Amino acid sequence: MNKVMTMHKAISRFVTAGDTLFLSGMQHGEPAAAVHEIVRQKIDRLTLVSVLVATANLLIGEGLVDRVLTGYTNQDERSYAVVKARDAGRLPVFEEYSHFGISLVLLAGQMGIPFIPTRSEIGSDMPKYNKNITSVKCPFTGEYLGAVRAVNPDVGIIHVQRCDAEGNAQKWGTMGVDVEGINASKKVIVTTEKIVDADVIRRDPNRTIIPSFRVSAVVEQPFGAHPMHLAGCYSGDMWGYYFDTGPKENYESYVKELVYGLKDWDEHLKRKAEIKPPGYFENFRINAVESDPIITGY
Amino acid sequence: MIIRNDENDKYTAAAQMVVAGAHQIRPDDVVYVGLGLPFLSALLAKYTHAPECTIIIENGIVRTTGFELPRATDTLGVQFMSDQLTGLFYVSSLGQAGHITTGFIGAGQVDRYGNVNDTCVGDYYRPSHRWAGSGGANDVMSFCRRTITMLRQSQRRFPGKVDFITCPGYIDGTLGSREKAGLLPGTGPAMVITDLACYTFENGEMVVKSVNSSVGATLEKVKEEVGWDIKVAADLTDTTPPTDEEIRVLRERVDPRRIWVGGKRTPIGKD
Repeated sequence: MNKVMTMHKAISRFVTAGDTLFLSGMQHGEPAAAVHEIVRQKIDRLTLVSVLVATANLLIGEGLVDRVLTGYTNQDERSYAVVKARDAGRLPVFEEYSHFGISLVLLAGQMGIPFIPTRSEIGSDMPKYNKNITSVKCPFTGEYLGAVRAVNPDVGIIHVQRCDAEGNAQKWGTMGVDVEGINASKKVIVTTEKIVDADVIRRDPNRTIIPSFRVSAVVEQPFGAHPMHLAGCYSGDMWGYYFDTGPKENYESYVKELVYGLKDWDEHLKRKAEIKPPGYFENFRINAVESDPIITGY
Repeated sequence: MIIRNDENDKYTAAAQMVVAGAHQIRPDDVVYVGLGLPFLSALLAKYTHAPECTIIIENGIVRTTGFELPRATDTLGVQFMSDQLTGLFYVSSLGQAGHITTGFIGAGQVDRYGNVNDTCVGDYYRPSHRWAGSGGANDVMSFCRRTITMLRQSQRRFPGKVDFITCPGYIDGTLGSREKAGLLPGTGPAMVITDLACYTFENGEMVVKSVNSSVGATLEKVKEEVGWDIKVAADLTDTTPPTDEEIRVLRERVDPRRIWVGGKRTPIGKD
């Protein structure tokens, strides 16, 4: 089934207020365009699960998030988004894990089991303040291990290099918690630099990280991970983004000029090109290096 | 600033930290590093005494070749021509299964027993100071055979007991406290490296092992900046200073773009 649709439609149809939302892209290829669309549509009361997703600050700052499952988030005045949320009475509850802990709650979700044991987080004070981390006795050896509770996000969003119209999605480069997070999610939105013919996918099927039957929507969105980099496509401007949304004045001007005032991501990119110095996007061009193709056939 | 541009003043305390970190990397080590000084230590070791070492980065990068020093943990330059690109679950599992020999972490605070606090000072719900949290640091300290903590030293950052244990060291300092918590035997903090000194652990307690006298530190100053009456190792020595060759490699190979070396860290730019 062809699942290609606009970003507006994919987000309005599959992301609902009150959802637990997984965002892929741990400092690599995050679904930035999709995040901006969620903000534009003001879908709120979200529980957010992500690791080092830069644009997630917009969701917090705009008061759309009730709870964050996190290993690392600025929670004080160094983040204007947090200050803004707090001042509006919309500061989320932070449920803190280690990074491995986050990958494990998602892995357990992907596996369809209620919890998973671990040797991380035990011996720390995290379990005292997070009821979803505890310890468990091994039924075979009698030893004690940590345990984290599974999470199955209502919806997961991933940005990839290529995907076919049915939703077979391929990403490469560093994977962060993408594989566990997207496979743990009940509904899946794939945003992609390019929609390719199904044969392109099937000539290198090991690269598929989620199969089409698990995918609800496919959105073609070039530069969909900007300001982050995406392997094989473009480099990024993470520090520039932190500056653009760091201080109060910058943040407020960013959401006004580059989120709310616009119809979609193509307009965002066009507007940003106007605001930034000439050649801003051209600078993200990479020197492409091709690998040898894998051989299949019979 | 790692190395001043003034030729009469060849290196700073931060360069001494980087070199002390590099000296902890053995030729056959599998090293887990995070952003900042540990990246420089790992690259310096790779370009000098440990060319065969494996470097692991938490986003899912496994490398045995050098790379362009990045301004962020994951960049296309750090990904480029890796031996393996995978995810956080995979590389952390390498640690949990005992395959990572040496881990490097930064820290908000470190206490007498090597416990690291990256969470909060004061009450958890009403902290007087907040850091961003564990990131991968708890995992590194939990899994690696030897974990090396690098931070700038002050009495505030060296309390006798941290208010929040983000990464368990030797917990309450009693024998077997890590194992009792469920952590594997033969893991835990091995060294703390600061701008003033290097510390090791004896019976679960931090001791001064060497003083960074090459950059002007003294034992008196070291003790002043520790929040408890710290013991001194019987074989206390001076920290091995950087050689001219190490400084040259830092300047020319590790950081030729001068992100850290020879000036302020310059975060804005293409990565």
